[in-house]
Amino acid sequence: MTQFISSFTWKKVTENRLFFPLVALAFILLFDLIFEPGFFTITTREGNLHGSLVDILRNGSIVSLLAIGMTLVIATGGVDLSVGAVMAIAASVAALLMNPYVLAKELPPNLLQLINDPQFTYQPLWVVIPVTLIVAAVCGLWNGLLVAYGRIQPMVATLILMIAGRGIAQLITNGVRIQIFYEPYAYIGQGWIVLPFSLYIVAFVFVIAWMVTRRTAIGLFIESVGINFRSSFFSGINEKRIRLLAYTFCGLCAGIAGLVASSDIKTSDASNIGLTLELDAILAVVIGGTLMAGGRFSLLASIVGAIIIQATTTSMYAFGVPAFALQAIKAVVVILVILLYSEQVRGFVRKIAG
Amino acid sequence: MLLRKIGALVSTNQRFIPLTATAVLAFAAYGAGAYFYSGMREPQVFFNLFRANHYLLISAIGMTFVILTGGIDLSVAGVVALTTVASAALLRGGWSPWAVMLLMLAMGTALGAIMGSFITYLKVQPFIATLAGLWFARGMCFFISDDAIAIDNRIYRILGQTKLLIPGLSNPVTKEGGFISILAVVAFFVLIVAIYIAHYTRFGRTVYAIGGNEGRNEQSARLMGLPANRTKMLVYTLNGFCSALAGITLSIYVSSGHGLYAQTFELDVIASVVMGGTMLTGGSGYVFGTLFGVLIYGVTQTLIQFNGQLSSWWTRIVIGALTLMFIGAQSLLAARKGGRQATKTGALASPATLRNRRVLLVGGGAIVVIVLGVLVSNATRNAAGGSSAETPTALTAACQFKPFRQDQAASLMAGGAIIAYERNGGPNCIDELYAVYPDGRIVGDDGTNRVEKQVTSTGVEKLLSDITEKGWFTDEMYDTWHTPCGQCYGYYLTVYYKGQEKTVKAVDGGTDAPADYWQVVSIINGVIPHFEPAP
Repeated sequence: MTQFISSFTWKKVTENRLFFPLVALAFILLFDLIFEPGFFTITTREGNLHGSLVDILRNGSIVSLLAIGMTLVIATGGVDLSVGAVMAIAASVAALLMNPYVLAKELPPNLLQLINDPQFTYQPLWVVIPVTLIVAAVCGLWNGLLVAYGRIQPMVATLILMIAGRGIAQLITNGVRIQIFYEPYAYIGQGWIVLPFSLYIVAFVFVIAWMVTRRTAIGLFIESVGINFRSSFFSGINEKRIRLLAYTFCGLCAGIAGLVASSDIKTSDASNIGLTLELDAILAVVIGGTLMAGGRFSLLASIVGAIIIQATTTSMYAFGVPAFALQAIKAVVVILVILLYSEQVRGFVRKIAG
Repeated sequence: MLLRKIGALVSTNQRFIPLTATAVLAFAAYGAGAYFYSGMREPQVFFNLFRANHYLLISAIGMTFVILTGGIDLSVAGVVALTTVASAALLRGGWSPWAVMLLMLAMGTALGAIMGSFITYLKVQPFIATLAGLWFARGMCFFISDDAIAIDNRIYRILGQTKLLIPGLSNPVTKEGGFISILAVVAFFVLIVAIYIAHYTRFGRTVYAIGGNEGRNEQSARLMGLPANRTKMLVYTLNGFCSALAGITLSIYVSSGHGLYAQTFELDVIASVVMGGTMLTGGSGYVFGTLFGVLIYGVTQTLIQFNGQLSSWWTRIVIGALTLMFIGAQSLLAARKGGRQATKTGALASPATLRNRRVLLVGGGAIVVIVLGVLVSNATRNAAGGSSAETPTALTAACQFKPFRQDQAASLMAGGAIIAYERNGGPNCIDELYAVYPDGRIVGDDGTNRVEKQVTSTGVEKLLSDITEKGWFTDEMYDTWHTPCGQCYGYYLTVYYKGQEKTVKAVDGGTDAPADYWQVVSIINGVIPHFEPAP
């Protein structure tokens, strides 16, 4: 009897969506604990927390933001490859709104004011952020229209914006890396209130997404569309609108991530911002246990997935693995994770376990 | 009457529509280019399309098979880059070039086979498995080498530089005139073999049989007893082979290897296949069409090079718009087919869906028209200036960073300059070296032209104090020269102020350079004179 209870609770724990991601995260942190002295040290500077753990959270915030949007898209059975390009577009739009002088042929008369006065900007923050987010949401809307109403495979439809998006971002900035000197904007990515400010943004977006999907029926609709969009259609769910919503939200999240990324490096780097981040975002969602085929999803598990990616990256950096070579390690991790979740391997393991 | 005949012809040969559209578009674009730029009328410009895009063609042929089965292979760019780096490293180690090539082909085939077996037997989605392959291959490049490795090998030189003269368009005595490279011939050989495989072998028929209809055709093929699993696996293996071959020809073409070669190349390959009329859902398309897809890509690039005013990112936008148009057209054709079936079965493809697709197609067409309109208006503005003089020789693989002109910068400093500033690379592959003198004279040269500008000497002092205020003469040395990216600039900056001199080099996107450095660069960029865009 006691055995029955213990196996029952153990099963319940292992079947929780967060179980595998958290175990993986624990392994990585254990690895750091053994091999990296001082990895867990957290110091306070001017009342703010600093340290490797805080850095992991801070650097993982961009992928976390992307992962929140991507989770919903993948849950509908789709995928959005264009998030990296949308980030670049958002960063370009924001930088252009604050500092359009770079594109002028003549030197602006207020060049030195621009550089030296951190409060100087062409457009204030309350114009920059909404306009940027609207542009990003429109990019997402475009993907959604192609997928939901054009009936184009999601991978293909978003591939179009992935190909053209970075070109559009270059076009917006005329190929120039626009410097951002406006301090309030830099706060988005660099500010700290005990914890890095970007973490509060992630928390805010997460809470909104969680409320919308779990406190209304929309989450259920998304899962139902992902499992079988035809039956959803016949049971009266407007599956097109659900998909449109998911892609638009994903574009919006990519826009927020673009703001954070560009304010962190204080430039609009159209050719590098968000480069290959779509892959990280998908990886985070997959690690979080949402199936690529769509269906059940967990936003929190996706964020844990994003943190796992960042923790791996940070630990590898600490070991002196070069940034590009990291990709090879990431690839092995992806395949292992996918195999862990695949039915074939699970069946095999179950057979062995009896 | 005639219209009806054309209509009948079209409806009976509907499967050729995408192919014809691609071919017509490719030649129309080339014709338009020849109309605006007399330089494009040179036959050699046409042959250069194959010379510069041979590796794209080889890779796209392999990709066509993958897409015909309804799959996708994102790993091509990684395998291409890995092949260039690995072969360059092995050649440097004194290996025989033939052994290197064979080894590379074996490596590509093996990588393809591994990904294929993951997809086929472990049911990993093609997109994910090959994405992991892309990361893995690209990551391995940097385990081999961080920097570009030059290839200095006789056989590679012969293969890369031999000009095969084209009879009738060249003078065999002086060895001048129209020519193509051995690599382009290799690409055409691959094309012919691929056409044979696709249409005259059992394997090819099975490839067509298992693609399309959201995987249901694969099921039917399996039920018919076709070896669906083996074919799928072979398709990825074949593509791995093609990617390795493309990597070899690329390394011969640019005679070097680097892990950052062929960035976002997978997108170009997929776009070429789609523009070649192959359905991304699989089951329909022609290997021959891929040739025209690659041609459209090459012509777009050539037009943008001839225009000279447009930056290289326009290629991306145009290719994106064209891909959209082709996908829209395919989707419409599929809907019409589906619509006919739907009237019998009452499936989902309702008239509303059909209307949506039409709206989409018209919308896509409008975008293409707008993009082309902007291009043409730009083109006509330039055509008046006569921008057709030179044949573009730029490598399309990536803008190669040139070494900084350090000696020249040092001699400028010795000649009394207080700031020497070099900007190198970027989307238009520039190499500009500026010198600022204490009397306010600013001189720049980009290798061919010189610009000069006079500012006041107080202006120079202000500039210097602005730079030094940013903490220029701190003890920290920043030297962030590392692997370049496709469109980045490299900066080389020497400043002399009150008896101190400091030189810093950095590359765009180098996150380890301090923000102050970028501010300094941006201050200087604001002051120096600018070159007119190349005529």
